[in-house]
Amino acid sequence: MSCEKVQKQISSLLDRTLTAGEREGVLAHIESCRECSAHAASLESLRTELRSLSRPPIPEDLRARLRVMASHERERRLVRLSLSSRMTDWAERARLCFDNLMRPLALPFAGGSLMALITFSLLVPSLSFPHNFGDQSWFKPPIPESTYVPGVVHNAWIVRSDIAVPQGMNAVELTIDEQGKVRDYTVAGGSLTPDLQSIIMLPPPFRPATVLGLPIPSKVKVIEVMVPNNRS
Amino acid sequence: MTTSILDLGADRIAETGAEGDDLRLAEALRQGVEGAYEELLNRFQQPVYNLALRLLGDATEASDVVQEVFLKVFRNIGSFRGHSTLKTWIYRITVNEAHNARRWFFRHRRREVELDTNPEDTRHWKEAIPDRRRSPYEVAVEREQHVMIEAALGRMNPIFREAVVLRDITGLSYEEIAEILNVSLGTVKSRILRGREALREQLAGSLSIRPALRLVPKTAE
Repeated sequence: MSCEKVQKQISSLLDRTLTAGEREGVLAHIESCRECSAHAASLESLRTELRSLSRPPIPEDLRARLRVMASHERERRLVRLSLSSRMTDWAERARLCFDNLMRPLALPFAGGSLMALITFSLLVPSLSFPHNFGDQSWFKPPIPESTYVPGVVHNAWIVRSDIAVPQGMNAVELTIDEQGKVRDYTVAGGSLTPDLQSIIMLPPPFRPATVLGLPIPSKVKVIEVMVPNNRS
Repeated sequence: MTTSILDLGADRIAETGAEGDDLRLAEALRQGVEGAYEELLNRFQQPVYNLALRLLGDATEASDVVQEVFLKVFRNIGSFRGHSTLKTWIYRITVNEAHNARRWFFRHRRREVELDTNPEDTRHWKEAIPDRRRSPYEVAVEREQHVMIEAALGRMNPIFREAVVLRDITGLSYEEIAEILNVSLGTVKSRILRGREALREQLAGSLSIRPALRLVPKTAE
């Protein structure tokens, strides 16, 4: 084994990374070679000196700074670990990003919106489209109706005001006021017979019609019942 | 005689007992447990400082690097998955930070020193004032030898210095060094060999061969 090869292996020998065979060969050579032995001794000495180099203690100010940094980093991590804090943090970041994004656009956007509004306002009067606000055929207000006792009263029928009077029959249309009293009448058919007059003078009780709970005037019709004259 | 090499070459690798707790410690750091931060500093601040000091040769630079290292450790502990030991992971950060600091130094501060100051004036005041508390002669010689070794380390190629510092001063195994430097075992071996040889050549004649290490056969009287 040449000295050059052995001297390259001395480092590995010191680190115990040679195989058993290699180690035996190198050791045998060192024993017999003065130069390689000196080489090994100097390397071993160097290694020992390196190991014995002083290990200066960490400076106190650095130690203190590290502790402060550790404390800050721990606080920072705890803040991140907390869900609510993390959500708040994200919301803040999102808001900041949005602000940063929108800030350059805010003025052009506001100006554009204002101009669009002004332009639309100027154009609206000139726009024409078919409309008829007067035609309200679709709207049929409810007919207020008085409450009454239907049936024959004093030989007469009391019916709703929109019911047509049969041909040849005598009838009057009564106007019922808010108190349920007869305020007026008109002859709706035939003639005003004594029986109809008695109804007008002594009417049956009415309950006034109501709209939205409030009593209002309304109308009913009284049709005289034609009693056949069996006596003749 | 030959056994002295092996006997005295005992590796000084320690701190293996704490490695089993790496994952627990990393998880505690992620959860923000107060004691975990204390434990991490207690375990690693001194070794990291020593490593940075030996890699850079300057206490101020080493302090800055140590702060950067722990800042990165605290902030990136979430990415530690336990594929390597915590020690290896932190040392790798330290080596990288020292490398960055060295590059920054050579780009900026060296120029400032060269242009603005006289190299004689850059010596620390402690170096200029004679030390009245002289140690005994042997201590002085040893100290002088250490100064020479430190100076030689500073003159070494940083690539080889990293390997030698990690192996001979920090006491890491070849496998750990390979992991830290992200190179193969063969490369580690080669760098350590070349680094030691470079140091030995620089210190030729100044290294004291201690009696216990003497391998030269004694001549018969």
